[in-house]
Amino acid sequence: MKTWLGRAGFNILVVLIILYSLFPFYWVFKSSLESSIALNQPTSSIWPLQWTWVHYQVIFAVENFLRPLLNSMFVAGSATVISVILGSMAAYGLARMPIRGKVLILGFILLVSFFPQIAMVGPLFLVFRHLHWLNTYQSLIVPYLILSLPITTWILTAFFSQIPADIEEAAMVDGASIRQTIVKVFAPIAMPGIFTAAILGFLLSWNDFLFALSFIQSPNMQTVPLALVNFRNAYYVHYGQIYAGVVVASLPIALIVLFLQRRIEAGLTAGSVKG
Amino acid sequence: MISLYPLVYNVVLSTRYDVLTQPGTSHFVGLGNYQQILSNAHFWADMGRTGIFMVVSVTLEFVAGLILALVVHQQFKARGLVRASILIPWAIPTAVSALLWKMFFDTRSGFVDFALHALHLPGANMVWFNSPTLAWVPIIVSDMWKNTPFIALLLLAGLQTIPLEIYESARMDGASAWQSFRSLTLPLLRPAIMVALIFRTLSALLVFDVVYVLTGGGPGQSTEVIAYYDWYKYLVSLNFGVGATVAVIITIFALALAALYVRLLQQRGEFLS
Amino acid sequence: MRELTKFRRSSLGVLGAATLTLTLAGCGSSTSAVAHNVTLVFATQGLGTEAQATNAAVAAFEKIHPHIHVQIETLSASSNNAYQSLVTDLASGSATPDVITSDVIWPATFAAAKWIMPLNQFHPKLSAFFPGMVKAGVYHNELYAMPWFINVEGLYYRTDLVKTPPTTFAQLISDAKSAMSKNPKLMGLAFEGNKYEGAVTVFQDVSGGFGGAFLNAQGKPVINSPQNIEALTWLDNALKTGLTPQAATTWEEGNVQQAFLSGDAVFATNWPYLYPLAEQTGSAVKGKVGFVPPPVQNGTPTASLGGDSLVINKNTKYPQQAWELVQYLTSASTMMHRALISGDPPARTDAYTASLLKTAPWFKQEEAVYKYATPRPVTPLYPQISAKIQEALSAVYSGQTTPTKALDQAQQAIQAILNNNGN
Repeated sequence: MKTWLGRAGFNILVVLIILYSLFPFYWVFKSSLESSIALNQPTSSIWPLQWTWVHYQVIFAVENFLRPLLNSMFVAGSATVISVILGSMAAYGLARMPIRGKVLILGFILLVSFFPQIAMVGPLFLVFRHLHWLNTYQSLIVPYLILSLPITTWILTAFFSQIPADIEEAAMVDGASIRQTIVKVFAPIAMPGIFTAAILGFLLSWNDFLFALSFIQSPNMQTVPLALVNFRNAYYVHYGQIYAGVVVASLPIALIVLFLQRRIEAGLTAGSVKG
Repeated sequence: MISLYPLVYNVVLSTRYDVLTQPGTSHFVGLGNYQQILSNAHFWADMGRTGIFMVVSVTLEFVAGLILALVVHQQFKARGLVRASILIPWAIPTAVSALLWKMFFDTRSGFVDFALHALHLPGANMVWFNSPTLAWVPIIVSDMWKNTPFIALLLLAGLQTIPLEIYESARMDGASAWQSFRSLTLPLLRPAIMVALIFRTLSALLVFDVVYVLTGGGPGQSTEVIAYYDWYKYLVSLNFGVGATVAVIITIFALALAALYVRLLQQRGEFLS
Repeated sequence: MRELTKFRRSSLGVLGAATLTLTLAGCGSSTSAVAHNVTLVFATQGLGTEAQATNAAVAAFEKIHPHIHVQIETLSASSNNAYQSLVTDLASGSATPDVITSDVIWPATFAAAKWIMPLNQFHPKLSAFFPGMVKAGVYHNELYAMPWFINVEGLYYRTDLVKTPPTTFAQLISDAKSAMSKNPKLMGLAFEGNKYEGAVTVFQDVSGGFGGAFLNAQGKPVINSPQNIEALTWLDNALKTGLTPQAATTWEEGNVQQAFLSGDAVFATNWPYLYPLAEQTGSAVKGKVGFVPPPVQNGTPTASLGGDSLVINKNTKYPQQAWELVQYLTSASTMMHRALISGDPPARTDAYTASLLKTAPWFKQEEAVYKYATPRPVTPLYPQISAKIQEALSAVYSGQTTPTKALDQAQQAIQAILNNNGN
């Protein structure tokens, strides 16, 4: 009897957790299909009252929401590629380093990752202004590198350290060059780790709001979060369009998470990354 | 090295009078900015609010995260689904999730209103964003929704390192589930708990996106936090001297947390697994 | 680490190139095969019909001046973002944008920072423009901004519910109450109460009506004057007594528009843009709308001035061409066409031609309100001052403090801002 109760209670808890995590998305999706008239009513219901796809049409045809999507992908993508390349090189060195120096450098990297984002806004703003970089892709790619590089390096070092050096030594003994060893032997083993670091680095850049808010001003340079927050004309905030925009912006992220959940979890715990 | 540059630049800027809209007036003021900021009631009010937010949000998120982790640690059918579903809110950009909750708490067509109505609970038709205390509710709910999964994952990783045999032997010794949780799980989980708490405390100290999107610091300044204050100094007042001063103060707090983390890792005798 | 930095830099070069190609691809739509000697960059806000009007005016200008090409740079629709982007452009000493659409509250800041060009050298003819609008562009006795279109925060009322528009605040309340008693679903007054600039313009309307002001003639803050306290108390009471719903404390123009157009409000404060929307077919209040100056009580009718003017970047390479563009855009005929396309009210009286009034009869009523257009304080520190007023209003509306205390505090803060030791 007691176990039965416990089971039921546990199942209810599980259902509640799923609802808590996912129901908001349902509500957003539902609202994105609701006509503006219904959205402005003081009451609402669990199903859309007046179905319409018009908000989706408007955000792409009129508001050009594709542009921020592409901007975000380009900026976050570039930052991720660069930071994974640099991070891999640094991490490989670190992982194969004697323990003392490693601790020092890793300690430094850690310290950098604690450096508050808000404290970077002012100095970077002045530097970018000086370089005439404000409102350009560089003005986001560089800060995103600063954000993601410590974390990718940290995660990659953790992953690379687990790969025994014997494998490489064996390859070298067999007459492989350093290059061949890295490309043919090390890289395939390291790939999952690199992939994990890339996902986390990408999410970190994709999720930024503060830097985009501070360094980007023109509507066609906006990233997705910034574009959504600014979804309005001079006088009017269009709820339906925001709902539709949130759906469009969340979908790729949700897919990434669903398919790559294990990698993300592995990366988060390996690196104890900040959220 | 590039990352250190802003830090140094901030320290230099913080000793200067530097307002972008007043070109040609920039000059050295020594510690004048610090004096001005530290004697400013507005600054302290924002620090106080940030402190309260840190305590409340981190506590709530920790408790919820622990429950989540314990649940997901069990073996059950829908485990993969649950793990994926709690990760999705974490992966959504903070600004976007804040926007989502802003509309949920809206008095028209918002979900919270709808739910309270449907359940005949008080609070329907409430204007959440017009109350100095209730305006915190959307902020904290939004922050929790996004960040609890992160704590849960770190704790879950910690739970998975605890060998099951310990529990077996505890049960044989006649310990109840609660007893073994208190005397076995919690102590063994301590390192993971500390890591989770430090990271969350740091990001609560720096909370910005949620506040900017949900309330803009209002009503009045009742939800204004220190990062918002700093951003405002930098990019609305364009007062880079004062902005840098506040930034340096925030950085000191952040680095103290970092030091705590490093010490913790050293105590564990490991920098990396 | 050194090598890393180097690598980073070279890879940025590649990215820069990629950026350029992307940007160029993005600009593909504005094709113009003609070779132009001069390209002016015109930074402006406005989407939809406003953008249409701007494009039409610019195309006409290019036809008359074949040697000048005008490239339109659209600024963010959010006023704050647009301001920030202009400040960063101008503060960097950039030569572009050459011509800028400026909200009426910005020219003083830009002028004080020496970012925009004094315009007296071009000998502008100003007699046809609304005086309030001209005043907003004058800083230290020098004109910096040419009025482009005017905007005022006026009072909308329902002609079917209120026979004659109220001239006093007490009258407004009794009119609203009598309409509400006949139909309890109605709200008396809808106004913008969110913590943002729009709340300041509403407050300015009421403050002026009670005889108050933000700064006195000497530029000293008088924000906690008895008149202002009375004005804020009046607005606060509207919320407390249910004349205005609590939700209005989060409302911006769009929400007020929603309330008025759906027929739920007897009175509403808003800008002229709402008038054509109310007269549209399908509007619940079509043919039942009036627009008047806000009422008074011991003060003068005050309609907070909004609207946009045109300013010229001080570092522009082509001052003469820039001025020609400004002159063209602010001519009576361009303004009239703009009014026809987008409904933006012309900033000069001679643009209200018979043909305009025939197509858009509401401009007649609007013009009567423009007489009372009052600019917000023309000072480079206005953004900071406004932030303090917004805070005070929001603190009162949310019941955290009394109008007296809030305005006393705002007075102190604004005093400090003007004394330059804190903001």
